[in-house]
Amino acid sequence: MNGSLSDPAFWSRFQFGFTLIYHYLFPQLAMGLAWFLVYWKWRALKTGDEKYNRAVRFWAKIFGLNFAVGVVTGIPMEFQFGTNWASFSRYAGGVIGQTLAMEGMFAFFLESAFVGALIWGEKRLGPRYHFLAAVAVACGSWLSGYFILVTNAFMQHPVGYQVDPRGSLVIGSFSAYLLNPWALIQFSHNQIAALVTGSFVVTSIGAFYVLRQLHPVQAQLYLRAGTFTGLIASLLVAFPTGDQQAKMVGRHQPVTLAAMEGKFVGGPDAGVAMIGQPNVAARRLDNPIEMPGALSFLAYGHFGSYVHGLDEFPTNAWPDNIEILYYSFHLMITLGTIFILLMAYARFESWRGRLESNTLLLWVLMLALPFPYIANTLGWMTAELGRQPWLIYGLFHTNAGYSKVVSGGDTLFTLIGFIGLYFVFGLLFLYLVGREIALGPDHEPMVNLSPAVGGSRDGGTA
Amino acid sequence: MIALWYAIVSLMLIIYVILDGRNFGAGMLHWFVARTPEERRQVIAAIGPLWSWHEVWLVGFGGTLLAVFPRLIASAFAGYYLALFLILWSLILRGISIEVGGHINDRLWQGFWDFVFVFSNCLLAVLFGVAAGNVARGVPVDADGNFSMAFFTNFSVRGQVGLLDWYTISIAIFAATILAAHGATYLTLKTEGPVHDRCSKYATYLWATTVPLFLAISVESWTVRHDVVGRAIHNPFCWLGVFVILIATGTMIFGFMSRHEMRAFLGSNFILVGLLTTGGAAIFPVMLYSTLAPENSMTAYSAAAGEQSLRLAFLWWPVAFALAIVYFVFISRRYVGKVSVRRDTQGYY
Repeated sequence: MNGSLSDPAFWSRFQFGFTLIYHYLFPQLAMGLAWFLVYWKWRALKTGDEKYNRAVRFWAKIFGLNFAVGVVTGIPMEFQFGTNWASFSRYAGGVIGQTLAMEGMFAFFLESAFVGALIWGEKRLGPRYHFLAAVAVACGSWLSGYFILVTNAFMQHPVGYQVDPRGSLVIGSFSAYLLNPWALIQFSHNQIAALVTGSFVVTSIGAFYVLRQLHPVQAQLYLRAGTFTGLIASLLVAFPTGDQQAKMVGRHQPVTLAAMEGKFVGGPDAGVAMIGQPNVAARRLDNPIEMPGALSFLAYGHFGSYVHGLDEFPTNAWPDNIEILYYSFHLMITLGTIFILLMAYARFESWRGRLESNTLLLWVLMLALPFPYIANTLGWMTAELGRQPWLIYGLFHTNAGYSKVVSGGDTLFTLIGFIGLYFVFGLLFLYLVGREIALGPDHEPMVNLSPAVGGSRDGGTA
Repeated sequence: MIALWYAIVSLMLIIYVILDGRNFGAGMLHWFVARTPEERRQVIAAIGPLWSWHEVWLVGFGGTLLAVFPRLIASAFAGYYLALFLILWSLILRGISIEVGGHINDRLWQGFWDFVFVFSNCLLAVLFGVAAGNVARGVPVDADGNFSMAFFTNFSVRGQVGLLDWYTISIAIFAATILAAHGATYLTLKTEGPVHDRCSKYATYLWATTVPLFLAISVESWTVRHDVVGRAIHNPFCWLGVFVILIATGTMIFGFMSRHEMRAFLGSNFILVGLLTTGGAAIFPVMLYSTLAPENSMTAYSAAAGEQSLRLAFLWWPVAFALAIVYFVFISRRYVGKVSVRRDTQGYY
C-alpha cells in the first residue's frame, strides 16, 4: 500500500480489507462450530443422553448471534465489488459473479432457511428433523466457503476463462473454473483452520467452566470434544494442507514466496528464518536466525533445491507490502506450531486423566481463545497481500480495479462509518455472548411465562 | 437470452421486494400498531425467524446481477455510492435490532432496539423508493457509461440530476405507503389480539391512500418520461402487469371483507408483483437511462456479460431456484400460524 493517502485506490483497499477481516471473524467460528452441533445432535439421537441436547442448545444460541453478525457484515462485501471495484467488476464480473451468485443461491438460501429451525425449532421439529437442520446449516456454511474460495482462487491463479471481444472475461470452462486446483487446496486449508477456531472456542469455554467450578458435565464434554478436534485440526492445517498451499504459492507465485520468506537473494540450500526483520530498503533480513536448507526442502522437497529470491524479479512485480506479508506469514506459522504443541499436551493430559485438574493448562487453554482468530486473519493477509500488485494474478493490476468515479473522500467517509458501526457491534457481540456464557448451558429459558404474570425475567428470552 | 436474463433478475428483485417489503412495512408501523412492550415483541416475533431468509434474496439478486450484467453493477453501484452505503448500513442496523432486541428482557434495552428497528426500516423503505424513482427517471450517465450523483442538485428531473428531486421523492412516498400497507396486511395475517385489530384498520387506510398516490405518480411519470409511458402502451407485458394488479386488488378487497387474511395478503403480494412487472417491462431494454443524452443510456444488451457466461449460468440457476422453492415450502409449513403476545409463541424474539 505505497499509495498516498489521497489515492482512492488506497482507501478502497483499506475499506475492503477492514470490512473483510472483520466479517471473517464470524464465518470462521460458524464453519467450525457447525460440525460440533451436528456431532452433539447426532450423539443425542444415538444415546438419548440429555447432556448432548443441552450442549446443542447452548452453542446454538452463540451460533445464532454469531450468524446474525456474519450475515449483516457479509452483505457489504458483495456490494463493494460494484461500489468500490467497478472497473474490476466490469472486467471480471462475468466470471467471479457466477460463484458469488451461486454462493447466495445455493449456500445462503439453505443456511438462512434452516438456521432459525436449528436455534429454536427443537421442540416443534422433533429430534430427527432438528438433526437435519443442523446438517443443513453446516453444509450451507461450508458450501458458502467453497464458492468464496473459488472466487478468490481465480484471483490468485486464474483458470478456465476466455477474453470476449469487448476485452472482459467470460467463463471458458466451468469445470476448470469450479475445480481450480488452487481452490481445492485453499479450501481444505481454510476450512480446517475454521475447525481450529471452533475447537479452541469450545475448549476455552470448557476450561473456563472447569476453573470456575461450574457445569462440570458440560465442561468436560466441551474440553474433550474441543481438544480432540483441536489436535487433529491443528495437525491437518499444517500438514498436508498448509504445506501444499505453500508449495502451490512457490509454483505459481514464486515472487510471493520469496517475499513471504524475506528471501531477498535467491540460491540453493535456502533456510527458513526463525527470527529476523525484513529491511526492504537495504534488501536484507536484519538479525536473522535461520534453519538451513529448510525452505528448499519445504518448497521443493530437497534440502539443496534452488529457491528464487526477490532479486530475480523486477521491483514492480514485488508484493507492495513485503514487511506485513513477511510478518503475517511467520506469525501464522508460529501460532500454528504452538497450537499443535498445546493441543497435543492437552490430549496427553486427557489420556492420563488429568485434563480437568491441570490448572495451569486450563488457564492457557482458556486464554488461547483469540489466537486462532489471529492466525486465520494472518493467513488471509498472507494470501491477499501476497497476490499484490495484482488483483487477478498476472492479468489485472489492483490499481486498475477501483471505481474511478468514486472520490477518495467518499470512500474515507464510508470507511469511517464502517469502523464506527463495527466497533459498536464488536462490543455488543462480546457483551451478549459473554452474557450467554455467564448464564451457562444449564440455564433453561423460561418461555412459558405470560406477560400477565410478570413476564419472563432477565435472560428468560435469550 | 439477454431478455430472459433481464426477466430472471427482475423476478429475483420482485421476490425480494415482496418478502422484505413486509418487514419494512411492519417496521414502519411498529410504534403505531403495537403500543405496549409485549405487543412490540409480538410484532418482532411475527417477522423474526425469517428476516435473514428474506434478506438473502437481495444477496442472490446482487450476485446474479454481477454475473449476467457486470457493466450495470460497475456503473450503477459506483454511481449510487453513498446511497447504497446508506442502504447497507440500514440493513445492518435492521438485522441487528431484530436479533439482539429479544436477548435481554429489559424495557430500556428493548425500547432502544425498537427505535433502531423503526428508524432503519423507515429509511430502507424510503431509500428503495428513491432508488426506484432514479431507475425510472434516469441518471446522468456520461459517454463512457459512468455517472456520479450528488444527493440533490436543483431538484429538477433533467440534466445533471441528483438522487432526490420532486419526482423521486414522490415515488419514495408512494413506495413507503404501499410497503406500509403491505406490512400491515402481513401483520393482520400473522398476529392476533389488539395488534391484529389495529393492523387491519391501518391496512384499510393505507391501501386507500395508495390509490390517489398511484394516480399522482402515474401522471408525474408521464411528464418525466413520456417516451417510456408511450412505449409501454404497446407492450403486452405491461398490460399483463396491469391485469395482475386489478385481479390482485379484487382478491385483496374480497379477502379483507370476508376475513380471509391469507387471501388478502396474497392480493397484497400480487399488487406489488404487478406494479414491478409493469415498471420493469416498461423500461426494458434500458437499464440506466441517461438524463444527459439518451444515446449514453445503458441497455440490457450493452450491460450483459459475454454469451458464454450467460449460457453457463443457465446450467445452475434453475437448480438453485428449484431448491429455493423447496426451502420456501418447508419454511411456510414450519412457521404457519399466528403469533400472540404470549412468549411461548414467539421463539427467541
